[in-house]
Amino acid sequence: MIECKNITKVFNQNKRNEQTALKNINLEIKSGELVVLKGASGSGKSTLLSLIAALSKPTIGEMVVDDKRVSKMPDNFTAMFRRQNIGFIFQKYNLISTLSSYENIILPTIPSNPDEIELDKRVDELLKMFDITSKKESHIKNLSGGEQQRVAIARALINNPKIIIADEPTANLDEKLSLEFIDIIKELKQQKRTIIIATHDPLFFNLDFVDRVIEMKDGQILCS
Amino acid sequence: MNHFLIGFAISSLFRRGAKSFFTIFIFTSLIFLLSSILFISNSIKEELFITLKSLPQITVQKLQAGRHTNIEISKIDKLLKLNGVQSAIPRIWGYYYFEKAGVNFSIVGIDSFDKQYKKSFEAIVKDVDFDELYKNNSMIVGEGVDKVLRENYYQGVFNFIKPDGELKKIKIASTFKSATALESNDIILMPKDLVLEIFGMNKNEVTDIVLEIANPEEIPTIAKKIKNLFPDSKVITNSDLRVSYQNIFDYKSGMFLALFIISAFTFFMIVYDKASGLSSEEKREIGILKALGWKIDDVLKAKFYEAFVVSFISFLVGVMLALFFVYTLQAPLLKDIFIGYSRLKPVFDLPFAFDFQTLFLLFFLTIPIYIAAIIIPSWRVASMNADEVMR
Ligand SMILES: Nc1ncnc2c1ncn2[C@@H]1O[C@H](COP(=O)(O)OP(=O)(O)O)[C@@H](O)[C@H]1O
Ligand SMILES: [Mg+2]
Repeated sequence: MIECKNITKVFNQNKRNEQTALKNINLEIKSGELVVLKGASGSGKSTLLSLIAALSKPTIGEMVVDDKRVSKMPDNFTAMFRRQNIGFIFQKYNLISTLSSYENIILPTIPSNPDEIELDKRVDELLKMFDITSKKESHIKNLSGGEQQRVAIARALINNPKIIIADEPTANLDEKLSLEFIDIIKELKQQKRTIIIATHDPLFFNLDFVDRVIEMKDGQILCS
Repeated sequence: MNHFLIGFAISSLFRRGAKSFFTIFIFTSLIFLLSSILFISNSIKEELFITLKSLPQITVQKLQAGRHTNIEISKIDKLLKLNGVQSAIPRIWGYYYFEKAGVNFSIVGIDSFDKQYKKSFEAIVKDVDFDELYKNNSMIVGEGVDKVLRENYYQGVFNFIKPDGELKKIKIASTFKSATALESNDIILMPKDLVLEIFGMNKNEVTDIVLEIANPEEIPTIAKKIKNLFPDSKVITNSDLRVSYQNIFDYKSGMFLALFIISAFTFFMIVYDKASGLSSEEKREIGILKALGWKIDDVLKAKFYEAFVVSFISFLVGVMLALFFVYTLQAPLLKDIFIGYSRLKPVFDLPFAFDFQTLFLLFFLTIPIYIAAIIIPSWRVASMNADEVMR
């Protein structure tokens, strides 16, 4: 499903503030697998996630996702690729705070001009699934942190992606909400989606439904 | 048509309410000012056109020692004998300087039995009994004249000073509103004999003689013949007059152009400045949309709809306001600046001269530039790496 081949990522190459975020990464993640990336802050987890989601391109090496060489795709194709394959739950959620929950959730569908009735059905399904039906028309700025995250998850799932990526999903949640998030992940795992979670939250390290915990340090993979 | 995308664009305008409102306000003001200037300019052009059409074809004056003087009325018979001359109308008129207000009135002598040398006078003169006016020592004045007189405490009457130093008191019988008024309505109409008296002229003299020529092609030839017939005459053709009117108009439209350019430039600086600076919030939004799988052209389409709605609404409202301002309110302030360059401000209606071509020009000069000013900076932000949102 996901193949990282010899990936190196250098930021600000040939500048004084040059920074090698990933060094020679080789990694394969199978379809339906749930992988947890752990490691200290600055170890390169987020950088790796953004390469998988084709948000950026490796300096050296190749990224293959779903048999597509996404690291070689031009910009417009990576956008389409993301829309169809990736549900990204960002660390800071990246919601548009002046829009309602509904408006945020449908954002990834807008470019493909969806059928309104089907879309509304899908949104209602997700709202119900995450128990935020009553917040459908509320503006994001009026929601609690946990509610905001659930809107972000609903948005990541709206296009029914095969791959779900979450960056530090519990960093801003208390323990109760963190456990609820883990329940949601369990549910998604049962739906046979491929899931990658970057975190340094110990809650994720001993879960029975996690297939692999991969540890990163200084841009390299320690053991897998 | 992706109505979700259009809906998103419009809701973005509402979300940035204050900024959108400011932009629409500025843009509307710009369009309003520019189209008002264009409308007034068109109207004056129309006014000029009407005036030019009514100019006498040939005017014959007499020169004495190189200066204009009164001409003998007896010359009319000789002029009428020239081939091609259809009619010859004697005119008695002159400027009267009103010192207190510092303005010149044009006094025109009317004889109701004569053919009027100006169509616009015919309508005014039609129902007036000039014998009656003569008996009562009365005159008819343009509205502008009446206004100036009243400002100087003359209520319904004016004392003219005759060349012999005596005062001649003349009552205002009525006022009229001039329809064509590039030559302004500083005009006073009164019976010929009163004019003769005020200017101290002989009964057998007139100010000048205007001719009607059957075939306009012959005007230059006939003008030459008159010059040969009366070497002491000055012969002015309508094309000579046209040049001087055109000069006045060119001068005015030059001022229009200057104002047009200055206002266009100023407002575009403001609009561009407002439009080009994407706030960090807007930049973040573009980053989010890209991360969620929007292509660059999806982002730009949304921006295009936003800019189009803003500029189109502004354009419509601006043009409507300008139409109302110029043709219903008669362009207060602006009209004063551009029409009254003599102290006697002519009071006249701006004729409705709606020109779609200028409107199209305005449309294509403003809207695409504004849309570009919105699209280009957004395009720059949208082409950056999508992983910016990870930070
Ligand atoms: N866009 C960027 N520009 C420059 N340096 C970056 C950028 N993104 C990440 N880095 C650097 O790369 C390293 C890895 O960062 P990151 O992948 O965010 O680590 P983690 O998510 O594990 O905390 C860090 O040293 C960070 O400063
Ligand atoms: Mg990180």
